[in-house]
Amino acid sequence: MTILLAAALMGFLGLAFSIGLGIAGKKFRVEVDPKLEQIEKTLPGVNCGGCGFASCAMYAEAVAGRKAPVDLCVVGGSAIAREVAHVMGVEVSDEQKDKLIAVVFCQGDSEASAFPGEYRGIRDCAAAVYSQDVSKRCKFGCVGLGSCVDACPFDAIHLSPTGIPFVDAEKCTACGKCVAACPRNLIELHPLKHDAFVYCKSQDAGVIARKVCKKACIACNICIKAAAKDNNPDAVLLDGSLAVVNTRNYTAKAEYGEKCPTESYATYINVVNKDKVLGRVRKPEPEPAGTES
Amino acid sequence: MSLLLIAIAAVVVNNFVLTYFVGICPFIGVSKKIDAALSMGIAVTFVMTLTSIVTWVITDVILNKLNMPYLEYVAYIVVIASLVQLVEMFIKKTSPSLYKALGIYLPLITTNCAVLFVALLQAMRNYNLVQATVFGFSAGVGFTLAIVIMAGIREQLEMADVPRPFRGAAITLVTASILALAFMGFSGLIAA
Repeated sequence: MTILLAAALMGFLGLAFSIGLGIAGKKFRVEVDPKLEQIEKTLPGVNCGGCGFASCAMYAEAVAGRKAPVDLCVVGGSAIAREVAHVMGVEVSDEQKDKLIAVVFCQGDSEASAFPGEYRGIRDCAAAVYSQDVSKRCKFGCVGLGSCVDACPFDAIHLSPTGIPFVDAEKCTACGKCVAACPRNLIELHPLKHDAFVYCKSQDAGVIARKVCKKACIACNICIKAAAKDNNPDAVLLDGSLAVVNTRNYTAKAEYGEKCPTESYATYINVVNKDKVLGRVRKPEPEPAGTES
Repeated sequence: MSLLLIAIAAVVVNNFVLTYFVGICPFIGVSKKIDAALSMGIAVTFVMTLTSIVTWVITDVILNKLNMPYLEYVAYIVVIASLVQLVEMFIKKTSPSLYKALGIYLPLITTNCAVLFVALLQAMRNYNLVQATVFGFSAGVGFTLAIVIMAGIREQLEMADVPRPFRGAAITLVTASILALAFMGFSGLIAA
């Protein structure tokens, strides 16, 4: 009996308040752009901030007010962009942004770059970098405590058993949370279709770099020479003691790294499920060689 | 006199945020700018006062009559959720800029434990309607005071050279704890 009474009471309260709210809702109704609601429904609603707005709702508002382009949503990619464009009644140009992915520029795992000591502080890369540099020998490399893993809202980045993060191409939306989380700035966003990078950020001179990590770039120039031989001198550049793939034109090819003595020039290190995704995205338009943005 | 005591106790001595540690989410979340903090404080004060009144009525008229005090929590949550909805509609209609400034934290007042705490405390202490109203209002004022002080400090902190691992939430929590220590100085002012 008491239970029934309790249930009836709560039901009555709920009903009373919902009627009150219904009346208030009518009274305080604010006319909103119907496009806004449609766009909001189209967007993924995960509020990752990858578009540069604080939430999906704010981005939708900016689009509806024609203050932002329709193709900023990195999570939805071109499919969502097309739907949003449809709502807004604009044509989305076929030059869709190619799918981007987070690329981790380090191969210095526990095998390649040995640990001189044990880090026992809190499991946070920034804290480890700030407090003591004992996690890895290389002072440019991955700390391996997984702050990027914690930062990822999509469960797309994980630590390998040897302590280097790898990215799931299928889940990665290029929202950039991990980029900001890495205290050593080892993560960058690059087009998934491009497949050759120098997976190292060490500015140590070659001798030292080789000492602290087996897979460091030692600036031996082999890949640069290979690029020059291929009549593509712009593809790989030298930045201090580090060879860097030119990300203005992304023309570096995998074979430039064939003779890399440390295997730092490689293709798709730290990425899984790449082929699965590449099969799904549209074939990229053939780009005229050497276009600089 | 007792009303004044209730007010002072709720505002400074037993400040909700800094003594009872309830309502920390908006306290950390919306304390970046003083004006946003102030509007958040006002919204919370408004909700708290209304909640206090409505829950008092519900407790006294319905729950106590039916001898069902165990429904307190459920009933209060329903009340708070509806009130926040109402406030949200009202603000959206009357002041879109304030609505934007409060952003996601406005619906979050629903889950602000400080509001539920007001309802529960006034029931626990057997206040009458006037006392409950004053209590709800001054608890809100106390919340506003705490969040505005915090926002003032955080605006200054923007300028300070904070070590990198401490930036963001960490230094905010450190600041909050020092503020709480400062407010401990009020304890003993009145026994309440």
